[in-house]
Amino acid sequence: MSESELPEVDGYGRSAVVGAAVVGFVVAAVAVWLAARSAVFYEEMFRIAPTVAGGGVGTDWVVGNTITGLDFLIALTHAADVIMGLFVLFLFFVHWSIFRQLASRMRQPAMADGGDLAEGGERP
Amino acid sequence: MTNLDHGKFTRVTTVFHSLLALDVFALFFTGYAIMFNDELWWLLLVMGGNEGVAGVHRIAGFGLLWLITFWAVLTLVTSTGRGNIRAVLPNRGDVDAFVQDVQYALGRRDERHPNARQFAGGTADEVPLLSYVGKGVVAIFTVELFLLTVSGLLIWSKTGVMQLFATKAAAAAFVTFHGLLGVIMLMGVMFHVFEHGFHPAFYPVELKAFVPRSMTPEAHADGGEEGTGIERLDLSPSWNWAANLMGALTVIGIVSVLVGSIFDEGYPVPRELTVGGGPTNLLLDVGINVGVLVLFVGLVLSMYGNVLRLRWEQEVESEGRATATDGGAVDDD
Repeated sequence: MSESELPEVDGYGRSAVVGAAVVGFVVAAVAVWLAARSAVFYEEMFRIAPTVAGGGVGTDWVVGNTITGLDFLIALTHAADVIMGLFVLFLFFVHWSIFRQLASRMRQPAMADGGDLAEGGERP
Repeated sequence: MTNLDHGKFTRVTTVFHSLLALDVFALFFTGYAIMFNDELWWLLLVMGGNEGVAGVHRIAGFGLLWLITFWAVLTLVTSTGRGNIRAVLPNRGDVDAFVQDVQYALGRRDERHPNARQFAGGTADEVPLLSYVGKGVVAIFTVELFLLTVSGLLIWSKTGVMQLFATKAAAAAFVTFHGLLGVIMLMGVMFHVFEHGFHPAFYPVELKAFVPRSMTPEAHADGGEEGTGIERLDLSPSWNWAANLMGALTVIGIVSVLVGSIFDEGYPVPRELTVGGGPTNLLLDVGINVGVLVLFVGLVLSMYGNVLRLRWEQEVESEGRATATDGGAVDDD
């Protein structure tokens, strides 16, 4: 490989890379600290008033299970999973087919020793 | 010519890609060991058991936050980064490339659209920075990683969302939401592994993401024919069965995690505590484990790409003269 084949290209500057790495670390650290600082083991919350009628633990579950917004959000994500999953599968089969066609155009491994594989050049 | 085509990414980009891949694989292997715990009970044990797995997941989550913030800042503060924003936005040509790819798959076209091309042959100008699939990956991953990070932080210590909604059930809802969101990425990554590991010209790994452009040729001297010149490449003897096997595994993996995600619910919180929340099903067990195997192959190929990069670097260093060994274009100028 000659030098002329390795072009000079503008990459990212060293200071920008270091700066971005530092900012990334700080943001990650602050975000995690904010998220973690209110940690109380959650089983220890809502311990008083044990009956549903008394507005206790049972009520919490009953009410918590009927939050329309959260229910909708999860239904939406299920739908997104299915739609995107089918799309990914479609894209996958398209590529599988494309790769097989590209492979058929390449020089076949068996050609050298007179194998019976079809020649690579033609597409139907 | 072997499977080294033209480079497009800078060294920072290739290193970032490898680190992001490692981190995301760690998040997948821990996160889905939790969500699909009745199918992946062994993985749960390997990744730290009931207690440790969430800790490992949080460490990897911190790494992800660091990585994506680093990348966002770098994109905004450097001219190279800002210049690349336009190059990753989908345009009319990408829609055409998708349509043409479907036609090509059906045998109605002779060539792939330039925006779809993974193998360029000829010169580096003939491939875009990212194909239409690459742009789609960037767009979807950007949205996904943002939502996963936000929901991940909300359930870091679950007391925050509990306070907000005044109920414990809200935490379960956000855990479910977080897990279901990641399924899109999980399926996308399986496809990504196949797309860049099993293209016949690049099999077993496309080096574009690993060897920076400063080290790859801008043109192949043996070009000059019509099209990409793929006819002049030798197909690997193992490609056929390897691509078929991996193709089948990928389909099984994608379908299984998709079906699994429908069953494995956490919200509304069930009246009876059912571990995993779904029916036990041997087919699903096998299928989801196949999905994890596909991801593991991706992890191995990502490592292998870096091994090949190291070898290529040594080769370029030791043979700085006119000749190249089997890795590069033989070019006696």
